[in-house]
Amino acid sequence: MSKILTQIVTQRGYLYLLKKLAAFMVLFILFDFIIGSFFRYLYFRQTSGWEFRTKYSVEDTRADILIFGASRAQQQYNPIFFEERLHQTCYNVGRDGQPIFYYYGILNGVLRRYSPKMIFLDIENGVFNSEQSSYDRIGVLLPFYKTHAEMRQVIELKSPYEKMKLQSSIYPFNSLLFKIAVGNTKFNKNRNEDIKGYIPLSGELHEPIRTVSFLNQHVLDTNKINVYRSFINDCIKHHIKLYIVCSPYYMKTIGTDTSISIAKKIAHENNVDFIDYSKDELFLTNSTLFDDTVHVNVAGARIFSNKLIDNILVKE
Amino acid sequence: MLFNSFHFLFFFVIVTTLYFLLPHNRRWLLLLLSSCYFYMAFVPVYILILGFTIVVDYFAGIFIENAAGKKRKFFLVCSLVANIGILCVFKYYNFINENFSFLLHGFGLTNPIPYLSILLPIGLSFHTFQAMSYTIEVYRGHQKTERHFGIYALYVMFYPQLVAGPIERPQNLLHQFRQQYDFDSDRVFEGLKIMIWGLFKKLVIADRLGIYVSGAYNNVPEQNGMTLLLATIFFSFQVYCDFSGYSDIAIGAAKVMGFDLMTNFRRPILAKSTGEFWQRWHISLSTWFKDYLYFPMGGSRVSVPRWYMNLMVVFLISGLWHGANWTYIIWGGINGFYLVFAIVTQKYRDRFNQFTGIVKRPRLHLFFQISITFLLITFSRIFFRSRNISDAVQVIKKIFTFKGSIFNDGTAIIIYCFFAIFFLLSVELKKEFYRGSFTLSRHKNFWVRNSYYSFLIILIILLGVFDGGQFIYFQF
Repeated sequence: MSKILTQIVTQRGYLYLLKKLAAFMVLFILFDFIIGSFFRYLYFRQTSGWEFRTKYSVEDTRADILIFGASRAQQQYNPIFFEERLHQTCYNVGRDGQPIFYYYGILNGVLRRYSPKMIFLDIENGVFNSEQSSYDRIGVLLPFYKTHAEMRQVIELKSPYEKMKLQSSIYPFNSLLFKIAVGNTKFNKNRNEDIKGYIPLSGELHEPIRTVSFLNQHVLDTNKINVYRSFINDCIKHHIKLYIVCSPYYMKTIGTDTSISIAKKIAHENNVDFIDYSKDELFLTNSTLFDDTVHVNVAGARIFSNKLIDNILVKE
Repeated sequence: MLFNSFHFLFFFVIVTTLYFLLPHNRRWLLLLLSSCYFYMAFVPVYILILGFTIVVDYFAGIFIENAAGKKRKFFLVCSLVANIGILCVFKYYNFINENFSFLLHGFGLTNPIPYLSILLPIGLSFHTFQAMSYTIEVYRGHQKTERHFGIYALYVMFYPQLVAGPIERPQNLLHQFRQQYDFDSDRVFEGLKIMIWGLFKKLVIADRLGIYVSGAYNNVPEQNGMTLLLATIFFSFQVYCDFSGYSDIAIGAAKVMGFDLMTNFRRPILAKSTGEFWQRWHISLSTWFKDYLYFPMGGSRVSVPRWYMNLMVVFLISGLWHGANWTYIIWGGINGFYLVFAIVTQKYRDRFNQFTGIVKRPRLHLFFQISITFLLITFSRIFFRSRNISDAVQVIKKIFTFKGSIFNDGTAIIIYCFFAIFFLLSVELKKEFYRGSFTLSRHKNFWVRNSYYSFLIILIILLGVFDGGQFIYFQF
């Protein structure tokens, strides 16, 4: 080893390279820090858009009731009805296209600050299916890695090298340049209606109901199942009343989705209420309550939200 | 192991460091072992196929050199049959069988030959062609037989160009493994810079465009003409940046260790004709076909109809080389037709240009030439990208309706795509037309030069797609 080191130190070429590499690294680290800090500043001062919603969910909301899930949470649970009828504040932290890793990351961020009184977790068909894209999508939580130690465990699931990549100050903002820029303007506010996190859909579906088979088994992701268990355990630990909900679909099914069966079983094991609206006749017979087969529209969201609240009021 | 992975980053640093620390006579062994590891990181068992072709061609080379007369030809044919045979079994067997079934079905018969359930070994066409070039060159007397088995194996397996080229010739590469390369920091920097530019092309341009292209081409029936038109143009840039990005990383990685690999791309998007395009695109394959297929068939020194046929045959085989699918054969056919058509119409086009007076305005003429060539090549790539002929036909039909609004799954994707293309074109135009004028990448001042490369790395981190996956040409 010492021979090698002597060789490195004495040969001009090596020394020259090391000096140049060091100078290059200094330059790069400086750029990385300055530009990364600038993006961090812009990211956390956004006032609208998807990234703002995530930031608001992790760092700002103090609502008594939180609604977790993907697009089916974001577009189907109207917080206004929950606030009016349950007399508690409510915010919908759902985000389009996000897997269960995201919900758990957000929950960790929230629990660092306070414990909500009630949480609704929307679970959809295939929620535990193994898909690489679910890990890629953890990327939206990268900006919180540096300042939110409680979210790191989830973020590091993204890839084995994530910890190393996150040494860069710029990397957390990968592919967010445009969104951050727009999030600092009023553009999103003028474009999308955002009612305490709920985004209403205005379309109306006019097509016959189709049948979907769940007889083919999908490969399941144990990481997702473990994160789901952790989500339930953390809620129980913090004395949060948790309701796991499968919201309405406009489709008939043959068999039951494996993910839903597992989610139900784990919920029952932990004495958590699992409320299933996926086979609710009112929705199965009324396509006009849907924007597409998996998302209810604004009228459907009103009916569904109130139906769910009725159910909760009966239970309580 | 993908060039755009952390796995490769560690591999490259360790191998390069060890390479310079080892004495010259042991370096070949390090490179051979590391190349084996590199290849086995994909599907380990396929190294046996590579091993088989290496053994066959190694001995074929020796036998060819030792033999005389017809025996030389016999050993060459044995080697070619072994190489092409492997290619046929792993790449074309199911394709041939499928078409045979289709043919029998036409006569109301059933095909009794079973399909094989095998994965195509990564980069099979690349290293098979490289191996074949060795035995052909030995047969022609242009290359002496390599008696050192390890060095010959390294010629076929040299990791930077093992899975996607450039397809090297023995005259260029073999002797370099015997040459002693002392550590040269300038060369190391030069190689690293080429690698950074290659990574930029792959991660920032190709994989970004790939998101939009995949979204459109994976669901053709749902897309409108304008979306497919944009996706097709994007694909043209994507495939260029993906493949030339790989070549740049390969050339750069080899350069760091002292090896010079052949140039594989010379700004093909700025070609003025389809003929010129093929002199700039995938040069190592184009010259392979020229040297080992086109010229032996007589090239252009035959009757005119035969010349046209030679061109068509080369391009049809080139299409088949890319993949066992009719879409690739049609793609090759279209490109062959372009060349034949260009030759046939040369006289009339010259007259037309004189008549319109465009030749008096060279810049405008150049712009038209480049644009038309780009559009022609892009059109042929509809077949290259489509999953099957029916998809390709549907894409063409829809494009020519010029209807619909552009699919936009988030404005950011489109903006990033246009930024990526703008950046690429700026660099390519500068290199093509303003070479030697103001430059950042080769600026005299160390800090300016390095700021430029820091900026490129920052753009990679900021805009690169890190989950994009493998290179398009790996499948060939």
